[in-house]
Amino acid sequence: MTLPDERHYKSSALNLIFSVSSLLLLLSLGWLFLSDYLRQWKQHQTEFRSLEIEKTKLEYEAARKGLEGDEEYQTLLQKIGQARKDYEARCSGFESEKKEVEQLSVRHNLAEQEHKFAKSELDAARFRYESAKAENARNLEAAEAEFLQVERQVLDLKTELETTGEELNKKKEIISQCGEMLRNLEREERQMASRREILERKLKTIDPSAMPIASRLADKVRDLPVIDFANPSLKIKQVVLRDITDNVNFMQVPKVDRCVTCHLGITDPDYRDAPQPYRTHPNLELYLGKKSPHPIEEFGCTVCHAGRGRGTNFSSAAHFPSSEEQKKEWEKKHQWSPMERWEEPMLPLQYVESGCFKCHSTQVTIREANRLNLGIHLVEKAGCFNCHLLKPYEGWPKSGPTLKKLESKLTKDWAYKWIENPRSFRHNTWMPSFFNQSNTSDPDSKKRTEQEIHAIVHYLFGTSEPFEMDPIPASGDPEKGKELVASLGCLGCHQIQSSPLEEKATRDLLRRQHGPNLIGLGSKTTKIWLTHWLKDPSRYHKDSRMPNLRLTDQEAADISEYLIADKNEAFEKRPIPALDEKVIDDILTGFLTKMETRAQAERKLAAMDLNEKLNRTGERLINHYGCYACHDIKGFEHANPVGTELTEEGSKPVHRLDFGLIHLDHTNFAWFEQKLRDPRIFDRGKVRPPDEKLKMPNFYFTDEEVDALVTALMGFVDTTSVKNKKIPRTARNLQLEAGQKIVHLFNCQACHILEGEGGAIQPTIKEWLMTYSGRSEAEADAVTTSFSPPNLIGEGKKVHSKWLFEFLEEPSVIRPWLKVRMPTFGFGESELNTLVKYFNALDDEEFPFAKEPDTTLTPEEVLSAQRLFSKEYLDCAQCHIVGDQLPGGSPDRWAPNFALAKKRLKPEWIVEWLKNPQELLPGTKMPTYFDPDAFEDSGPPDILDGDENEQIRVLRDYLLTLSE
Amino acid sequence: MELFKSFVNAVTRPQVLFPFLLVFTFLMFPPTEFFYKVNKTLRLHKLWTAAGGLFMFSFMLAFFAFGLTDSDFRAIVTKPDNVPIVGLIFLVNFFLWFSMKQAYENDAKIEQGKEPAEFADSKEKVLVWPDLVYIEFISLILCSVLLMVWSILLKAPLEEPANPSISPNPSKAPWYFLGLQEMLVYFDPWLAGVVFPTAIILGLMAIPYLDNNKKGRGYFSFKERKMAVSIFMAGWLLLWVFLITVGTFLRGPNWNFFGPFEYWDVHKLEALTNVNLSEIFYMVWLRHSLPQNILLREMPGFTVLLLYFGFLPPLLARTLFKRLYDSLGGFRYSIFTVLLLLAVGLPIKMFLRWVFNIKYIVAIPEFFFNI
Repeated sequence: MTLPDERHYKSSALNLIFSVSSLLLLLSLGWLFLSDYLRQWKQHQTEFRSLEIEKTKLEYEAARKGLEGDEEYQTLLQKIGQARKDYEARCSGFESEKKEVEQLSVRHNLAEQEHKFAKSELDAARFRYESAKAENARNLEAAEAEFLQVERQVLDLKTELETTGEELNKKKEIISQCGEMLRNLEREERQMASRREILERKLKTIDPSAMPIASRLADKVRDLPVIDFANPSLKIKQVVLRDITDNVNFMQVPKVDRCVTCHLGITDPDYRDAPQPYRTHPNLELYLGKKSPHPIEEFGCTVCHAGRGRGTNFSSAAHFPSSEEQKKEWEKKHQWSPMERWEEPMLPLQYVESGCFKCHSTQVTIREANRLNLGIHLVEKAGCFNCHLLKPYEGWPKSGPTLKKLESKLTKDWAYKWIENPRSFRHNTWMPSFFNQSNTSDPDSKKRTEQEIHAIVHYLFGTSEPFEMDPIPASGDPEKGKELVASLGCLGCHQIQSSPLEEKATRDLLRRQHGPNLIGLGSKTTKIWLTHWLKDPSRYHKDSRMPNLRLTDQEAADISEYLIADKNEAFEKRPIPALDEKVIDDILTGFLTKMETRAQAERKLAAMDLNEKLNRTGERLINHYGCYACHDIKGFEHANPVGTELTEEGSKPVHRLDFGLIHLDHTNFAWFEQKLRDPRIFDRGKVRPPDEKLKMPNFYFTDEEVDALVTALMGFVDTTSVKNKKIPRTARNLQLEAGQKIVHLFNCQACHILEGEGGAIQPTIKEWLMTYSGRSEAEADAVTTSFSPPNLIGEGKKVHSKWLFEFLEEPSVIRPWLKVRMPTFGFGESELNTLVKYFNALDDEEFPFAKEPDTTLTPEEVLSAQRLFSKEYLDCAQCHIVGDQLPGGSPDRWAPNFALAKKRLKPEWIVEWLKNPQELLPGTKMPTYFDPDAFEDSGPPDILDGDENEQIRVLRDYLLTLSE
Repeated sequence: MELFKSFVNAVTRPQVLFPFLLVFTFLMFPPTEFFYKVNKTLRLHKLWTAAGGLFMFSFMLAFFAFGLTDSDFRAIVTKPDNVPIVGLIFLVNFFLWFSMKQAYENDAKIEQGKEPAEFADSKEKVLVWPDLVYIEFISLILCSVLLMVWSILLKAPLEEPANPSISPNPSKAPWYFLGLQEMLVYFDPWLAGVVFPTAIILGLMAIPYLDNNKKGRGYFSFKERKMAVSIFMAGWLLLWVFLITVGTFLRGPNWNFFGPFEYWDVHKLEALTNVNLSEIFYMVWLRHSLPQNILLREMPGFTVLLLYFGFLPPLLARTLFKRLYDSLGGFRYSIFTVLLLLAVGLPIKMFLRWVFNIKYIVAIPEFFFNI
């Protein structure tokens, strides 16, 4: 039997263990609380608070000093002092009145109370009376008497209340009149010092040293652990967006961005120089600001920047560094590590514009998103959409020329060398290189490559259709040709540049590279072909975007003579490896055995002659590499493109991208960057049969181009989460977008300035002015715009839609002094209408019909107009052509023919134009006759009583008669 | 070091490690005299002493300490999901050692004609308060401390939002089901996921009714129930704990096998082509095409199963399990052997897969019936 005081374990030891473990429990509990309580963002908010206090204090001091230095304010203070003294002196004698007021107000209040009571009693009495009446009760009379009595009482009380009130007001007024001046002065003072007052009040709420002790204590207490659930001063701040969602796969949930928890000064312009994370957004006018198009309450942060909006520490917000250095810095400073299991890390700064594309995807250019615009322009220029399905580009023409009538244009040798290495012929060509890439540079692949190209060339020439060519003028003058090329406007779309220039990739450069660089043509084609091509490009290639410049036979011959003179000797000298039937057999067997047995393939092969073998191999290879995606090739009219669809490439999960054996950050942008730099890089280290190797060709993009293209690719995303924020599909937007597409396709901005962009041709115009019309650089600079194709700003406001339609279809001469020619693009009806609608939509003009003002003139008015028009006054004919009459002086001072005015110009526009030409077309030569700053005195006083509006009207109406 | 790592990688392949552990288990827990003799000669029983325990734990600690210097090993062992399994390895081994040590001590006492240590305990009485409740309370506090510190130091292993079009690679069951998931490699889902788990539960329930050994109850002992301990240890340690460990640490992307010092490469490919027994029987042995008739086609498999479950138990009753049959009687004996054969079926199937690339013994995909 064990006794109660017997123990199996030693009590003292157990007590010791117990105390130690309890202590451990306490410690770990404390640790638990601390680790939950100490958050990075709280530190940031405290830091920001002190920054805010410091800034407010400074501002407060400045406001205070400003007031001190303000004489007006000082005199006001003096005046107040004076007034106060005055008040004390004059108004201290109202003691008895004040006492009376007090007594009166007590009486008044009592009366008011009594009145209230009586009123409620009246309501009750009324109810009793009414119900008694309705039920015809016995006590009806008593009820009626009671009601009438109470009613009288209420009336009496009301009268009393009104009398006491009146009396009280009278007495009060006597007293207050005395202090009115002081009060007015004080009000004035408060207004002047309002800024200081606001700052002072703000300081009292944020600065502990300016707070009363109780508030200071309360501020500390409410941030204590556990208690801080109620209303802490440090708390997570967030923007909840109903319109923009996060895709959690099974549903769309409203986006919640907590970025502002740490980025506290992001919308406050005062923190432009503050350290991160408190710094102001660099562009508040465009983003986040209340008046910007993207206010923070509606758009938040991560919809553009990506990242994890709910994250509240540096790594869990999925920040992502934009360079290796930044990565190292972050790792050291913020213990940064990539956010695992998060598909959308924050966009590194260089790709940040891709966020715009989500909502602005339908716009061809997006204002201020320069890198993204460049990327999209590159996608169009490089023709990514030819091989990769990109839904917005469905229906775009192929990027390359037709290869259906090749024989009339090229030789087989040239084609071989070109396919093998296009850059060896034209250093900046947009034809990408398929061969001799990083995964096909071993000797075996090289041997195969040689024969592959032979087969492709053989197929192309074997299927070539005839192209009939007429005899051309026997000889052309290369010098004249050179001048024509320099002046006609060829250089808007083409360059003639024999060696590479270190030029930064810009959209203007892309516009000048719209057509090929015209070098070495003597090694490529024949004079007769070139002449035919120049005369009418659509005869050779129906869908060519090269326009017709309405050249005469002689002009075409001159130009081709000039272009053909340039030869590329190095290219011509390159040897061509011999055809090797054995390799061709191997290649073809490889293709054939995909579908049939080896024995069948061998039997088939044995029955073929070399010609057929080459044809079959070439066909299979063209199919393999997808040449037909960019070029029209016979036999491939209905083939599907070879690349992956890119419409939502930016949303593709990273694990679907094959990184091969390359070690990179596992992000889609890192992968895209590598892929664009070297499309075959992910084959490195892999052992693959030739037809399974990566085959995307190499465009040799520069660094800026890669950045821009990655930005565009990252923008091609699934947009369900922002479907409420996309550019609305209004009729006007649709018209604009359709027009912009044509503007892009036909490179209008190479010559014209449209929507504030373009005019890439102008440097070449200047060069022409210096070379051919003997002007100095300064002179040429001054007149370049007059000799360049016109700026099309406000074109929709300016010209009649019908005229525009006809002009675009068949251009006519408006500015005879221009050497550049508006080409004939051969637009169809629907394209012409699209363009006309586009110009009208750009200027918010009504389309298609608009009211015409009455432009008839009385004989007197005609006389006045003629006087204004004459040499004595405005002397319009000094510059403007009138019918057949040319103005004197040099052509660079000439201006358009008035005879065109009626058909071409909208009458309202002429009025606006005469009033202020510089506003409609900045930099125009047209003088401002009616000074907009002193409009009333600008016109001649002796015509139409000096009424400027009338003068402009008759002048306009007169101009419109000049075509008759 | 690299050589050692590649050696470890090579021997941890299930084809090597499993047979080794199978033999080793029977040596450590010898069911018969033969194994007992080998155990004696190799002095394996020394493991169940204080020195042996020290050796075992030093060895395990040294291995883990060494392993943690390797980034691949570290990545997989310190993953928050896997940390409990590291604990499991140590805990299972500790309690194994602890109970076996007591069992051997008791065995020695019984041999000397003394009573086992537990008998002394049961004569002594202990008060619920303070002796029991106090230590329970202390354990409670210490467990709370452990859980709190653990939750602070290791973040919850949360994953990305579930996406029906992206499945995680590898897709792993919860740790306690990894043994079953490992069986899926060798068996059709309805066997690995339905029949075997049911059989395990029924088997565990049947133990009290099958075990009529009156000795060794209420105290640790090995010698008095060698066969029972041996069979249970093989089932528990090898077919359950070991498979969980393999599933946690050694199965990577695409459920491929990876050694402890191997990088989990998503692109790793293993040549996996398996054949059914019927194909081996008809095409390899008989040089004949597969019969059209399903029953005829699967006849070899059915024959094997019939032999295994129908012929083997009576045969064993007459030979190897004669004593067992005598003591259990026909009914209990047949239940016992069927359960045992089912359990043994798993390693047998594993060997068949590794050695002959056997996919199924009976394969009737037409009716989703594969064994």
